[in-house]
Amino acid sequence: MKKKFLSVVAAAMLVFSALVQAAPVKIGFINSITGKEAQIGENLTNGALMALEDLRAKGIQVELIKEDDGGDPKNALAAYEKLVTRDGVIGVVGPYTSGCANVVASRADQYQVPLLVPAAAKEEITMKGYKFVFRLNAPANVYSKVLMDAVKVFKPKTIAYVYAATDFGVSTVKTAQENALKMGLKEVANEKYQQGQPDYRPSLSKVKAANPDLVFLVSYDADAILLMRQAREIGLTPKAFLGAGAGYTTAQFAQQTDISNLVVSATQWTDDVNWPGAANFGLRYKTKFAKDPSYHAACAYEAMRIMVETASKARSAVKLRSALKTGSWNGILGPVKFEDYGSFTNQNNHSMLVQQLQNGKYETVYPAQFSKKRLVYPFTR
Amino acid sequence: MSFLQPLLSGILTGGVYALAGIGMSLVFGVMNISNFAHGDLMMLGMYMAYFAFTLLHIDPYLSLVLIIPTAFFFGFMLEKLFINRVIHHPHQNQILLTIGLGLIMSNTALLAFTSDPKILTTTYSSSAFNLPGDISISLPLLLSFLITCVIISILYLFLAKTSTGMALRATSQNREAAQLMGINVAKMSAIAFGIGTALAATAGALIAPTYYIHPLAGHSFLLKAFTICVLGGLGSVVGAGVGGIIIGVVEAMSSTYLSTDWKDVIVFVLFLAVLLLRLEGLFGKKGGR
Repeated sequence: MKKKFLSVVAAAMLVFSALVQAAPVKIGFINSITGKEAQIGENLTNGALMALEDLRAKGIQVELIKEDDGGDPKNALAAYEKLVTRDGVIGVVGPYTSGCANVVASRADQYQVPLLVPAAAKEEITMKGYKFVFRLNAPANVYSKVLMDAVKVFKPKTIAYVYAATDFGVSTVKTAQENALKMGLKEVANEKYQQGQPDYRPSLSKVKAANPDLVFLVSYDADAILLMRQAREIGLTPKAFLGAGAGYTTAQFAQQTDISNLVVSATQWTDDVNWPGAANFGLRYKTKFAKDPSYHAACAYEAMRIMVETASKARSAVKLRSALKTGSWNGILGPVKFEDYGSFTNQNNHSMLVQQLQNGKYETVYPAQFSKKRLVYPFTR
Repeated sequence: MSFLQPLLSGILTGGVYALAGIGMSLVFGVMNISNFAHGDLMMLGMYMAYFAFTLLHIDPYLSLVLIIPTAFFFGFMLEKLFINRVIHHPHQNQILLTIGLGLIMSNTALLAFTSDPKILTTTYSSSAFNLPGDISISLPLLLSFLITCVIISILYLFLAKTSTGMALRATSQNREAAQLMGINVAKMSAIAFGIGTALAATAGALIAPTYYIHPLAGHSFLLKAFTICVLGGLGSVVGAGVGGIIIGVVEAMSSTYLSTDWKDVIVFVLFLAVLLLRLEGLFGKKGGR
């Protein structure tokens, strides 16, 4: 009798534990909360936070374990290993920077826990054929491609490069040179600079002397403002300034209207495109955090939404991988599907946008189906 | 492109480097301490100029009237509270102390002002004069250079003509002998550190309108100030002034005629060459410390 009772209890406990398992799914989130990239990291945190709120409203429960990498690949890898071995997460979103994401990606296949990279641009991350690595945003080569496509109709002939001597700067310019070659653009100046210098005038004067139609710039936050200030000072006036992401897409840059007006830049996301929920996301973000969201916030939101929705159905790392591989989504970042194309594996073929600062506001100007305003060309002061 | 453009722009940028270098050199001369918190003191100057501009609406150049006395007092107190305790200690203790003070300052700034770079935009931030021959001169940089010249002249007169200035120079030449002559060397040290801090903060405030303001912005200038001091001869105020201009011009010239990538290489090759040929620096005292 007693034995029977015990077995009933045991059976009940089994059923109960199965019920418990239906509760929150465990997901990891690696981000640069501190360190040099903290400013952008904050955008990612906020985006992910909003995704969780929306999922909860839909009745999807998730246990999110957050890790900080401080922008250091070593910490990012340690965080990933901790998440998959100790916390037992079935999927990881992050890390932010290219350096961190690249290192973590190289280990994802070993641990067989899917990694969804929300916003890192380095091409290599999805070029090595990793089965468990997925990327939502467009890789670095698309930055320069979309910028040059936008100005193609104006038939520019020459181009000059001014860029930071960093991983992002060098790799973006390398792909830009390939794109320029295809377009028949002649390179007239190539100025790589060390970050944080007070005086970029000599480099900019050299560019001015070469008189290019296009000036292609890659820089981080404050350097972008410094460069454009000094460019105005020495009177560098090409037909267009093309800024590849980062420093040319911040609210701070937009505020400096007398130097930033008419600068063209590439971005993964804006709030005035007709992707479902994009405008609403922008609005809600502004009310909640009293700041304009950067594209990083939108990428983190969408990555988190896709990861949690898929994981809550899949319930295991291996099933999650195949669900990510076969699924398709449509949200604030437009249609998403992780495909193998060209030399990429599990890469979302995201269409990037070109925006231009017009009177202190970023206006989407390319591709035509997403834009309300037209590109102003040539550049004037 | 004209040869004059990089020359002029190098001299003007070099002026601000010189100001940072002179402050460091003066402290070394009088106290025989290498102040590794110098860059962070510059950073404090940048923030003071920024807040004077955004909160009190004072032009960054005019705000020097407030910044100089505040920074002098801050430096004076730093010396009284911390630095004078290690003045007779080995160099490594002094270096650790100043590095520590610098870390506290930069990390406090990180906590208080966050790591978002601040931009000080005045109406003239990107204006320039155009000279014949397609040469442009940045207006804020020119103003900074002129103010630097005025401050260096005042400092020179102070050191040459006033009794405190002479006492400072005496302490710099021989601390023990100066003490025997009845000079209050402890007070001289505090004054020297105060002046050094005021000069660092001034350099920071002068560069603020053309640069960006960040808690770690001082670090790149620390290395420059140190190079300038050694190049000009440690402890020599004139040497630091000349050293600053030389580095500014060499940087501008090498970015123009070689590549920006090489400019630090050229600066440090020059630096090593000076050290090999004249161990005491360009204007250093032979057989000095």
